[in-house]
Amino acid sequence: MKRQIPLLLTFLAGAIPTIAFFVPQKHVGLVSTTLDSWLIIVAGFALLLGVVNVVQMNTNKIKRQASGWPYAIVLLAGLAIMGFFGVAGAFDKFGGIATRPDGSSTPFDWLYKYGFLPLQGTMFALLAFFMASASYRAFRARNTEATILLIAALLVMFGRIPFGEMVSKWFPLATEWIMGKPNMAAQRGIMIGAALGAASMALRVILGIERSYLGLGKGE
Amino acid sequence: MPNRVHHAKFFSALPCPLLLLLRTKAVQSRGFPPGAFSARTPSPLILLCLFATLFFPFFSAQVEGQSSLSAGVAAVSGSQAAPEAVAAGGSAVGEESSAQGEMAQTAAIATQPAPPVVEGVTASDTRSDEGGSITVRWMEPENAKELGLKYQVLRTDKPDGEYTTVGEAGAGEQECVDRGLIDGQAYYYKVRSALGAGFADSEPTQAAFSKGNWFRFYRLNALVLLVVFSSAVLYYITRARKAKPIYIRKIAGLDAVDEAVGRATEMGKKMLYIPGIMSVDEIQTIASLAILGHVAKLSATYNADLEVPNKDPLTFAAARETVKEAYLEAGRPDLFREEMVNYVTYDQFAYTASVTGKMVRERPATNFLIGSFYAESLLLAETGQSIGAIQISGTAEVAQLPFFVVACDYTLIGEELYAASAYLSREPVLLGSIKGQDITKFLLIVALGLGVVLESIGIKFMTTAFRMR
Amino acid sequence: MQIDRRIIYLFVAIGTILPIIFVIGLPVSITPPVQMAFDRIENQLQKGDIALVSFDYGPSSAPENAPMADAILRHCFSKGIKVVVIALYPLGGLSEAVNEVNKVVAEFPELKYGVDYVNLGYKDGAQAAMKKMAENIHEVFPTDVNGTPLDELPIMKNIRTYRDMKLVVSLATGIIGEWWANLVNAQFGIPVIVGPTAVSAPKYYAYLEAKQMAGLLGGLKGASEYERLVVNSYPKLAEVYATPGLYTATKGMDVQSIVHLIMIAFIVFGNIVYFTSKRKPRKAS
Repeated sequence: MKRQIPLLLTFLAGAIPTIAFFVPQKHVGLVSTTLDSWLIIVAGFALLLGVVNVVQMNTNKIKRQASGWPYAIVLLAGLAIMGFFGVAGAFDKFGGIATRPDGSSTPFDWLYKYGFLPLQGTMFALLAFFMASASYRAFRARNTEATILLIAALLVMFGRIPFGEMVSKWFPLATEWIMGKPNMAAQRGIMIGAALGAASMALRVILGIERSYLGLGKGE
Repeated sequence: MPNRVHHAKFFSALPCPLLLLLRTKAVQSRGFPPGAFSARTPSPLILLCLFATLFFPFFSAQVEGQSSLSAGVAAVSGSQAAPEAVAAGGSAVGEESSAQGEMAQTAAIATQPAPPVVEGVTASDTRSDEGGSITVRWMEPENAKELGLKYQVLRTDKPDGEYTTVGEAGAGEQECVDRGLIDGQAYYYKVRSALGAGFADSEPTQAAFSKGNWFRFYRLNALVLLVVFSSAVLYYITRARKAKPIYIRKIAGLDAVDEAVGRATEMGKKMLYIPGIMSVDEIQTIASLAILGHVAKLSATYNADLEVPNKDPLTFAAARETVKEAYLEAGRPDLFREEMVNYVTYDQFAYTASVTGKMVRERPATNFLIGSFYAESLLLAETGQSIGAIQISGTAEVAQLPFFVVACDYTLIGEELYAASAYLSREPVLLGSIKGQDITKFLLIVALGLGVVLESIGIKFMTTAFRMR
Repeated sequence: MQIDRRIIYLFVAIGTILPIIFVIGLPVSITPPVQMAFDRIENQLQKGDIALVSFDYGPSSAPENAPMADAILRHCFSKGIKVVVIALYPLGGLSEAVNEVNKVVAEFPELKYGVDYVNLGYKDGAQAAMKKMAENIHEVFPTDVNGTPLDELPIMKNIRTYRDMKLVVSLATGIIGEWWANLVNAQFGIPVIVGPTAVSAPKYYAYLEAKQMAGLLGGLKGASEYERLVVNSYPKLAEVYATPGLYTATKGMDVQSIVHLIMIAFIVFGNIVYFTSKRKPRKAS
């Protein structure tokens, strides 16, 4: 039963949306959309499980004074403060969650705008620095393919900025050609291959041939 | 002249099947240091085709002056002048219309012909729908477009009942779909042709009934493809059980897994396995969990330290079970600890900050970045590269592949990720499914090539055959 | 020769900060994908038509996507196109939608909420929501973001499915933009314009060439091009974009241009050093 029930559920979860794709009957579509709703509900409960795990792990870290335990205090404090104002706001305390009608920020909104948003932006901005160091290290003309990559990268980088067009109108044209022809062809090739691979994997999962994600070993 | 445009289309569409062919050819080694590439030198024929593909449309477009680029640039410069022209024309029209409007209206009504009666009106259940819909069709009068005829579709649920308007159409249209009906109820329709203030009604139709259908015929092509694909996969799965082992080409990234685990064991440092940031409903995550099982088993066998931080709670739950089971299968359940697999946070960049901080502080010897990634891919890979860890990555996210290729030692590209469970386990059944998938890919390449040729000579059969609704 | 990566970071930091302080004002050239998007709204949509604008990005990519959102909304409102706003991105999509809509609407005091535009809020399960909107949008979003039932909003009275709209614009990070192109446009035929981040933009060319998209605004460059197009066409918007202190994609492109030049310089320098170091042993022998 440990093996059969999950496999049966997997089969149904895969077969029903596939059938709903071809069969326009209301009841079939309803079952399919209900499954989608169930996934959202299950994910919500799994989120609770995740939060419990975070609290458990970090509490243990503080108790044992393991390496990096002050960061665990910061994490738990952030979780508690943001969670408190979010839940309280949902019960209309402190003016709610989003901006108040008079335009002032609720505590949750203030923390979001002046804590969360800048941190998110900072992490995303790191990409620019990492991109620079990765380009410097990777774009070397070591062989033919690397040279083609180098030339394409330089053309695209230069053609995408106004300086490129100021030097020559051919740079933006070359950039658009690279993006619209060889890049597009390569992307399509990889997308088609990956889509077929995904379809094959999905078929194996639906039919119960692929079971490793269930934690079932060979022969089970 | 048009032939050169068709030739341009032919050659500019050629890269796609060619690149697919190149991808499925056996490449001896995928492992390479970041930024270096090694592959077999393509044959002269392929080089010629690539040259024609890449440069012919560019040059032919320059001669023709009809390339999408130059047309686009022309459109750009034209459109910037367009607003001024439209504004000038509009103001000129505005000045004249108020003075002449009344006289024109009276004259128009006096001289307008009577609208012709629409004939051949039929009403029937709309095909391939879930019910509640009837399609009304009619034969358009010959001079409908010149007259500027408009149509109204009228409906009643009694043969002698009052008709109400349920739809409208213009000249050139010959059908209208009426929705929100009750299945099994009789409806009667008329089509009213209108011209100015005058109108003429057609004869009422016979009773029409809507009903739910059992198949979406406009998706027949998708069903055929699904059947062909599934048949190929299932055939080779069945055959694999009986026949000799199926050949699968070397995938350097997967061959390096043992080496990577061994390196971590020798150095006495941990391994970090990041199964992507999406949930288990994403097929890449399932593929990643399959590889995680193999890595966890090796980790149990060699007594290496493994940590799996998760961004998604469902993935966290599945990963924990996978690792636990792998340790059990390796006969070392005592080595499994709950904190090996942990949940970090649902936020993408908070998760990235946590994992990169862990990399910098704890300096793992080996990083596995396998699954579905987005903007955080470069942050994770570059941080791992900076600490000197051996990195094996794999994703089917096309946009993230370049970042992994430049920052990681081995990268599983697209379908290599999905083939991993078959490759690592060497189970005949799984290898058979890979072969079935490759056969389908081959058929798709043939269809693509055929489509390119047919499209170039003006036969659009393949384009319409593969169109999805 | 290995340069310490912190030196590279320092140069990039200087290249980022200086153009913000000393604005250069580089010209912007228009590319065909952005022109296509502009022409779709300018020439194919009429006053009173409905456009669905989906905020499928979060705060992390707001510097790229928010200027696109602003430009699209300003264009629609200037042309009298009615806008239905939704958010499908779970982390911050709704906040971005609320912030950007409120910001742009403040520039058009004649617009009335519920008549000229509406914000339906966030819906989880993006793909499922997209499919369901083809049947009945009122079931996906029973109320707007303020809790008002859709039947009480004049703009939503005649909008039930994609057939009642003329265009979908998705401002996206990640895969949601792809779903609009390969799912909604492919299955339901409504034209789709996507404004992805620059890193995702290359994969959208396949959909653009296959005519599954009506236009593409790729990253900050795409946003700056669209700003240029709307400024050229609508003088009132030129005044808006000239407001001091307003963050625009055009200003951001100054920074991107300088950083690109720095990266190109490092790459060229690295290759020169690589080739000269390769030649040295030959000279010695």
